[in-house]
Amino acid sequence: MLRFLIKRLLLGALTLFAVSLVAFGMFFMLPRDAVATMCEKNCNAERLDRMRDELGLNDPLFDQYTGYMKGIFVGRDLGSAQGGRCDAPCLGYSYTNGEEVTDIFARVIPVTLSIVIPAAILWLGLGIGLGMLSALKRGTVFDRLAIGFSLTGASMQLYFVGGILLIVFVYTLKILPPPRYVSLWENPLDWAAGLVLAWMALAFLFSAVYARLSRAQMLETLAEDYVRTARAKGLTKSKAYGRHALRAAITPIVTIAGLDVGGALGGTVITETTFGIQGLGRTAVEAVRLGDLSTIMATVLISAVFIVVANIVVDLLYAVIDPRVRLS
Amino acid sequence: MSMLQIETDPAGMDPTAVPVAPERGMVGRSPGRLAWERLRRNRTAMVSGWIMLFLVVLGVSAPLVELLYGIGPYEQFQDRIANNSLPLGYLGGISGDHWFGLEPKLGRDIFIRLVYGLRTSLLIATSAAVITTAIGIVLGIVAGYLGGWIDAVISWVIDFALALPFLIFALAVMPTVTARFYGPRDEIDVPFRIAVMILLFAMFGWTGTARLVRGQVISLREREFVEAARASGAGLGHILFRQLLPNLWAPILVTFSLAVPGYITGEAALSFLGIGIVEPTPDFGVMISNSLDYMDGDPMYLIIPGFVIFLLVLTFNLFGDGLRDALDPKSSR
Amino acid sequence: MRTRAALAAGGALALVVGLSACTENTDGNSGIDPNRQSSGVIATDPKDSLGPAPEVPGAVKGGTLTILRETKISHLDPQRIYNFVGLNTAPLFARFLTTWKDDGKGKVTLVGDLAETPGVNVNNDCKVWEFKIKSGVKFEDGSPITSKEIAYGIARSFNPDLAGGPTYIQEWLADTAAFDTKWDFKANKTSLPPGLTTPDDKTLRFEFAKPHCDLPFAASLPSTAPLPPAKDTGVDLDAAPFASGPYKLTKNTAGVELVFEKNEHWDPATDPVRHQYPDKFVWQFGPDATAQTDRIITDGADAATLGWNGVATSRVAKVSADGTLKGRTLLEPTPSANRLTINTQRVTDLTVRQALNYAIDREGLIKTLGGDYVASPMTTLMPPSTLGFKSFDVYPAGKNGDIEKAKATLAGKTPELVLVISDDSGDQEIGTQLKNNLEKAGFKITVRTTPSDSKLDETKKKNNQWDLYLDSWAADWPSGAAILPVLFDGRNIKPEGNSNTSFINNDAINAEFDRVLGMDPAKQADEWAKIDERIMKELAPAVPLYADVAFYIHGTKVGGLYIDSIFGYPAFTRAFVKQ
Repeated sequence: MLRFLIKRLLLGALTLFAVSLVAFGMFFMLPRDAVATMCEKNCNAERLDRMRDELGLNDPLFDQYTGYMKGIFVGRDLGSAQGGRCDAPCLGYSYTNGEEVTDIFARVIPVTLSIVIPAAILWLGLGIGLGMLSALKRGTVFDRLAIGFSLTGASMQLYFVGGILLIVFVYTLKILPPPRYVSLWENPLDWAAGLVLAWMALAFLFSAVYARLSRAQMLETLAEDYVRTARAKGLTKSKAYGRHALRAAITPIVTIAGLDVGGALGGTVITETTFGIQGLGRTAVEAVRLGDLSTIMATVLISAVFIVVANIVVDLLYAVIDPRVRLS
Repeated sequence: MSMLQIETDPAGMDPTAVPVAPERGMVGRSPGRLAWERLRRNRTAMVSGWIMLFLVVLGVSAPLVELLYGIGPYEQFQDRIANNSLPLGYLGGISGDHWFGLEPKLGRDIFIRLVYGLRTSLLIATSAAVITTAIGIVLGIVAGYLGGWIDAVISWVIDFALALPFLIFALAVMPTVTARFYGPRDEIDVPFRIAVMILLFAMFGWTGTARLVRGQVISLREREFVEAARASGAGLGHILFRQLLPNLWAPILVTFSLAVPGYITGEAALSFLGIGIVEPTPDFGVMISNSLDYMDGDPMYLIIPGFVIFLLVLTFNLFGDGLRDALDPKSSR
Repeated sequence: MRTRAALAAGGALALVVGLSACTENTDGNSGIDPNRQSSGVIATDPKDSLGPAPEVPGAVKGGTLTILRETKISHLDPQRIYNFVGLNTAPLFARFLTTWKDDGKGKVTLVGDLAETPGVNVNNDCKVWEFKIKSGVKFEDGSPITSKEIAYGIARSFNPDLAGGPTYIQEWLADTAAFDTKWDFKANKTSLPPGLTTPDDKTLRFEFAKPHCDLPFAASLPSTAPLPPAKDTGVDLDAAPFASGPYKLTKNTAGVELVFEKNEHWDPATDPVRHQYPDKFVWQFGPDATAQTDRIITDGADAATLGWNGVATSRVAKVSADGTLKGRTLLEPTPSANRLTINTQRVTDLTVRQALNYAIDREGLIKTLGGDYVASPMTTLMPPSTLGFKSFDVYPAGKNGDIEKAKATLAGKTPELVLVISDDSGDQEIGTQLKNNLEKAGFKITVRTTPSDSKLDETKKKNNQWDLYLDSWAADWPSGAAILPVLFDGRNIKPEGNSNTSFINNDAINAEFDRVLGMDPAKQADEWAKIDERIMKELAPAVPLYADVAFYIHGTKVGGLYIDSIFGYPAFTRAFVKQ
């Protein structure tokens, strides 16, 4: 178990290292001049060069990369042009507005979490519930309706569903306010009212996968000998299914769920764009558009961390849920 | 392709949803024929298959449709646009001349732009699906059969590709590549943009197929017929592509058929974010992205293209689903 | 079955949505006056510069006025402020040497702000200017404002670390565009730049090598705000400016919120334009134009709110059609003038440039931009809001352009031109519109997209490789002097960073510029209109397109807001919150 964990962590670190290299290389390939966006009216070539110097953009690439990485682990000193000393974990300062990147994240990550976590609970619950029920009621009208619903969801586009929800609930029926983010701690009701459409749209789309998957898994395990034996031995239907069948069926669901949630945390660009909410995804997109190195690096790394961690968590959960899986 | 997949295509590229390789070879003469019979009996699959075919034909014959319809995708009808930049009349300017109405602002005909949009979309999606499936098969077979460090490396590359945020990467690649290939006075060709998009999908999209194929190969490689081939001194290429591959075609076909709608969605998503196809080329993603601004004043502008792309993806998914059922009767209803 | 269920679900949705779409869209009219003219004077009577400003009818004290904006304000340091949001926020917390009395409808008067009058032209040659500072003006800590602090403020704008602000006064004092090399602020913090002196606490004196009759106008920009040397925190002043106006910054959460509260040391008796009605002004950053508009339409919690980003394009049709919202919208033309610049270094044939002017379909372009609540057509280089503006059209072609006339002017030529546009979606639509429009007249247009952030810099390079690009110019004061010589004086062409992006350099026109610039500012106005017409007729260096239209919505409790006539953005000096 421990050996497995260490191996996974090492591999994950290697992945993150490679991701950081790619993100860094990406920035220097961009046909953008980050400095040009900082240097406002009446800018000249000399002033641009001075700013590049201050930002360290004239240093060798290797030094810039190691400098950035050093900042994350032990902090570093940045010139007065960038706000001075930056303590670990230092993600640097945004080129475009001089804000510390960690501050930007402190602002946008709660937004993304507020979108993804409730939506994930909704889509997992809805999807698995529908899947299980339709497996148990195989062939009935309910089963067919559930499958139809999930296939419709799987074929929808987030921006289309989102748009329809907005037209219906906000512009036509006017029962919901236009989407916005209000902190949960500030006003839970506004928080929910502002985000509920995003949750609904995501849940509608994602529950499809889980409904299909859990239905198929459930059908498969229901046919397994040990479940039939359990039933024959007189276990009630709900106990047999709940204890044995569900448990076996849930393993692959966890795999997908881990990846989905990990990925979604890395940024929900389209959701955020459709509903006009500023979270991690849009921040990342804007950073690339403006060539804002510190923010690009940080958003890419953070979303990669989410995915890598989700992968490891999934592998561990596997072992917990399904005793047949041995970690080695 | 984590982020894109997450937001745009939950179903399309989901490897575990694909059936475990059915045990072929013991069914009798022609498993393909049996599958075809089963597919033909599946009414849903057949109906969606026909609709799918209709949409594909419509897209492919776009210039012909233009000829019959009498309006081109770039023609502007600004005399039908009011001072507030929305189309005059009801339902976004729907009329006998303009079946699906007009775009706000520029006043182009939505119907003919959708037909051309179908073409772009299908071209990108099928090419991307072919390429990613091919890469996925080769790497999956190699990793699964050879195992050892090759498997470790390929598996790590898969993890790596999954950890890279696809959209951010795409957003960075597009302008970089275009700036490298085009002079400052050149228009950036549409085919070039399409090629870059396909390339991007190819770079990120093969991981699902590769994982699936790898798993299948691992379960097959110790089987007797492989052992036998190995014992009789068959070369590596022979074992990989003559012995193993034919046993994998069913899951591969299903992945492929589900990958196409996945890339239709993905292409629209990239264009939605302004990374892929851009003005003035007709495209679903661009149209929907523009239409979000008019949800209040001209909802038909969102609903029509949104519904067409939904229909396209739905029929592909239903057909792919039917195909899966036909190829693997065990997992069917 | 599956198909049917799915289709039924889709159909039901379409029905609900379709119902909401069943209203007819008809052609309306914004009622905006595209040729609203400005009239302006420079106050010679010191009484005009005295406070207090006349009470605003219906105004009450108290309350909090909230302003929403998508992104934060880039600078709060008065010496670095230059964008519109900064220019219109600065009067809340800073005072300047001169300022504009403005009725919000184009009638403006330049008055003294900290100065008793808008400047004395000592020898009537515009080379020596004197300003007498008012008594009783104070900073937020109660210390008096004298000519010394104003001079220090101007001196620190020479510091290249504090770049971003206007550079007129620095360049005029140093008599060179490279002013920071002529006089090094960091090495001479205790002295003043050449030509700037403070003979006593009440007097500020400028001596220029060349005549600069526009100094009273330039002095109305925030870079003349005072600062005591002891309070100069360098780059950090951007986060915490030292107030001299009716409000002071009390809270600054970077990128999220700014809170301004009353400054009790501000004396209304000294201020000819500002009021101090609300207890607080709060800026909140984040929501985009659509979110702002929706929140304000809903009113309720946002009843005392203004959306700085204006009515979102997507909501223009709704807001303009809804009679109940009319009372809380602001709709005025602005001085932001947009033109299709022709690179005359590449397009050397005058007839081609004239043909472009005949071919242009301004109505189609404005529809593409979002309609007549967004833009208002223009056929002159100077916007109608310029003092002394005269309406003319050298190339009359109707609102949709005259394709035949353009073809005749081209006389069979089919010029191949490259139009460069930025890669954001709005610009790309404009590219499509212009290409389709101009190709009808026989031009062959290549539309080249380029990243939006670099486009501006690239087109300002002298040897850029494009033929056509979109440019806009918003003058810093409503005088032709701040428009025509800046955009069309060929003697100032540099390798990069040009405002003269047409790159014309015509000796006769240059001589005209010199002649008019040497005149008394009050007499210049008519002359600029004549030069404008002459440039269009003889050189056709651009196709005038449209002036931006300001269209804003505020909550039901907001009063006293107006669109200022100088920049065309909401101004806060008279704002109040209804109780």
